[in-house]
Amino acid sequence: METLREWEAVPLPAPRPRVEVEPMAGRWIKTYDKPQWIGVLDVRVDGDDLLVHVYGGGLGPSPADWGVVRTGRVYAGAPTSGDALAGGFVAHVTLPEADVELQANLNLGLLVVATYVTFREPGPWTDRFTREFFRSDA
Amino acid sequence: MIVEAALDLSVLVGDWRNTNPAAGIGRIVVEPNGSGGVRVHVASSTRDWGKVDAPVFAFDFEEVRLQANVKLGVLVVASFNTFKDDSGRSSYFNREFFYRV
Repeated sequence: METLREWEAVPLPAPRPRVEVEPMAGRWIKTYDKPQWIGVLDVRVDGDDLLVHVYGGGLGPSPADWGVVRTGRVYAGAPTSGDALAGGFVAHVTLPEADVELQANLNLGLLVVATYVTFREPGPWTDRFTREFFRSDA
Repeated sequence: MIVEAALDLSVLVGDWRNTNPAAGIGRIVVEPNGSGGVRVHVASSTRDWGKVDAPVFAFDFEEVRLQANVKLGVLVVASFNTFKDDSGRSSYFNREFFYRV
């Protein structure tokens, strides 16, 4: 850092490295051949974020099309600061009957997706947690 | 008289591909062996391991013992690898995931 005066040498924190979100993009298809909560996720890169299009898997009150949501945050896959490859993301989805926090992480090429489902009105469905597996369609 | 029910192998039988393109084992084909068990054919990017009925692949230089289970359509394969040569390489454990095509 060049300076003209001593007080110009201000210590600044290093900029946070960009999380490379690209490894999580693509079409992810459920590994299970029976109906499940989520069937397919289409994940697209949009700048530093991901756009996640979720499709239901034909089980319970899961809508056929959940719509597209932007990730709330994308996380690097390793705790070391030098590795900024994406390893997980969190997104929030508003369904007609429920609010869903969707958490996804990559594990050896497998996308592991957990959802925390909160139903807004009293009814036959209790709040629930799901955890399902998806493979890349690449 | 006790009648032993045949094990349903359908959840295991099939052509399985690794979820991780950079992984060690690329493909596993599981088929019935005609004796109530399965025959397993494994291939990596560097060689065809061949077919075995027992879950042990024995090469001149290395022995690999496989354990596998299916969870929600994912074949989870653990391998226990022991080198038999004098290369000094340590035995190691590995775990990989496969999907059925």
